[in-house]
Amino acid sequence: MIVLKDVSKRYGDFTALHDINLEFTNGLYGLLAPNGAGKTTMIKMLATLMRPSGGEILYDGKDIFQMEETYRTLLGYLPQQFGFYKNYSPKQYLLYLAALKGIGKKEALVKIEELLEKVALPDVMNKKMKKFSGGMIQRVGIAQALLNDPKVLILDEPTAGLDPKERARFRHLLSELGRDRLVLVSTHIVSDIESIANEIVMIKNRQILYKDSVEKICQTLEGHVYETSIKYEELDAFRNRAILLSEKQEQGNTIVRFIHKGKPDVAWLPVTPQLEDVFLYEYRDDVDGEV
Amino acid sequence: MMRIIFLECKKVFMSPLFIGLFIVFSMFNMYLIVDNSYFKEELKIANGLAETYGLEITNESLHQLEEDIKLEVGKMTEMTGQEVESVFSFFDQLSMEDYEKYSEEEQSFFHQLQLKEAYLNVAKQIDSDYEGLSMKALAEAEIEKYQLSGNAAEILLTEAEKLSIRFDKLKQTGEHKQWFFLGQPYEMHSFLFRTIVKAVVFEALILIVLATALLTTYEFENRTHLLVYATKRGRIVMKDKLFASLLVTTVIVAMLLGVTLAAYFTVFDYAYLWKSSISSALNWEYNFPYITWWDMPFWKFLSLVIVLLYSCILLFTAITYAIAVAVKNSYFTFFIFAVFFAICFMLPGFMPLSSSLLFITTFNLSVVVMNPHLLFTGNGGLVMFKYHEVLTVTVWTVIALVLYWLVSNHFKKVDIH
Repeated sequence: MIVLKDVSKRYGDFTALHDINLEFTNGLYGLLAPNGAGKTTMIKMLATLMRPSGGEILYDGKDIFQMEETYRTLLGYLPQQFGFYKNYSPKQYLLYLAALKGIGKKEALVKIEELLEKVALPDVMNKKMKKFSGGMIQRVGIAQALLNDPKVLILDEPTAGLDPKERARFRHLLSELGRDRLVLVSTHIVSDIESIANEIVMIKNRQILYKDSVEKICQTLEGHVYETSIKYEELDAFRNRAILLSEKQEQGNTIVRFIHKGKPDVAWLPVTPQLEDVFLYEYRDDVDGEV
Repeated sequence: MMRIIFLECKKVFMSPLFIGLFIVFSMFNMYLIVDNSYFKEELKIANGLAETYGLEITNESLHQLEEDIKLEVGKMTEMTGQEVESVFSFFDQLSMEDYEKYSEEEQSFFHQLQLKEAYLNVAKQIDSDYEGLSMKALAEAEIEKYQLSGNAAEILLTEAEKLSIRFDKLKQTGEHKQWFFLGQPYEMHSFLFRTIVKAVVFEALILIVLATALLTTYEFENRTHLLVYATKRGRIVMKDKLFASLLVTTVIVAMLLGVTLAAYFTVFDYAYLWKSSISSALNWEYNFPYITWWDMPFWKFLSLVIVLLYSCILLFTAITYAIAVAVKNSYFTFFIFAVFFAICFMLPGFMPLSSSLLFITTFNLSVVVMNPHLLFTGNGGLVMFKYHEVLTVTVWTVIALVLYWLVSNHFKKVDIH
């Protein structure tokens, strides 16, 4: 179990995270927040790349920075942006990282083959990575994070660069992995985790906003999400009445999905709130209209 | 850990820039050697003398040499049909037209004999030449040359006294009376140590600074740092990178020096002179003969120079590593190192001419590696101290260890973005 206890991170005068308290056990967690909210900072602290300015991060009661390699042995980490050795093949590159993860060469060769199969890259195992697309590199990144069969798997924006088919495959892989280990997936793309995460963590104003199941988080907007059809010309006026979540054109009219916390209009159709609704609502611009 | 170090080394040896530079440097060294090899046949005379008369120059061996030369001069009289007293006098009165009348074989014979006479003349004058040498006068000349005063002048005079004792001992033991290549025309000591070895040092420095900077900053420059430093090995991989850099340095020095010295000793024959003293009077190139602080045969001097320069280069590797950890950029590392090297070398030149700082600041690695021909000698100008090399390496080992400790501690705690 990982516990973040009063964790803060400051860069000079700027506070990126303030008094974060969290607990993670086995399961799949989605860390959801817009870009710049402090997700990557939190993840880098969990990966021991950054130290908290205040508080502590514990794994099974022990400080992860004191545990050093004992902790990192259990860790699999995919950064948001990462480089690679252009003149190396995925096999050579993963062999190097396997050595750093303390995996013997023989064992690593078997594991690499298995993982490249899993991320659909077995045919290019020995090809130089400089010719790879962004999606292929991302898949090599996913493979390296799994090399040591980690007990704690931390993935920062793992679906960046993946096409829809790859995303679907990846979601499947994640839900499989989340069964017997702690998987923390940071993303700003709600659909990546909505259907597979056991719990969602949302950060707002440098603090934890929610840490709960998708259902419970969605319940916070229960009875406030509606859909209705309006004329395009009415759209601007409608924006002042409600918080627009989405809009789509249909047969000359605009179907809007919105949040309204007052007395609803009879023409409005109440709908079940989705995680995306909560996301859009919580991270809306301050200038939005009344609710 | 060994596998990681091997994989780190591979990054350097797979670099095309590195391989290209190594080939260019090796070719350049070969060129230097071959370009100066026009007199290599003449050098066989020194070997021949040591082989025939023994390495030591004694009155008996000189007498024997003189007798043998007389016999050959007699042979020359027969060949030329004129009374020849010495080859030098023969050549003095010989015109070019007459010289060309002789066969190549005869010309070669004359020439060899002329060289033997030259060696004989120098050997016969050793005692009288050495009588005129004074360490005090040498120190005073240095004081005059550099316009030293106060503490600085005193230190130099004190060192000159110590060297004087060593010089007297050298004369007693006869270290200086051993056959070696003539210093004046050939300058083989300078050529080997000041030209060739210094070139190798420069080339090795370029390669090791590039290699160390490349390895140390590799993850940051390839943006793989977030992956690498979050693995089990984590930031300790920097230690592996340092070991890999030191290993790469060793391989570079061994290969560069190996290739160059193999070429050198293939071209220039030292067969009978390996045991000849560096302090030999024949190895007198400029105003003063080389006087090593200890009895040092050529093989020992060469070995010690290699060991010393290798140690210095290892320390330069450690310093480069420290710079690279701090700046995380290979280009800046190279530039900062170049500035550091130059400043260290020029530092004594900025010191007051009356202060002991003038000497203290010579205790740096740049000064040591820039004068390989003067290492372990007492007549190296401002670096004449007996233990200059050992002290410099010791002091800089401590400095390198402190730097390593500082940058390691810094890197252990720094946030990796």
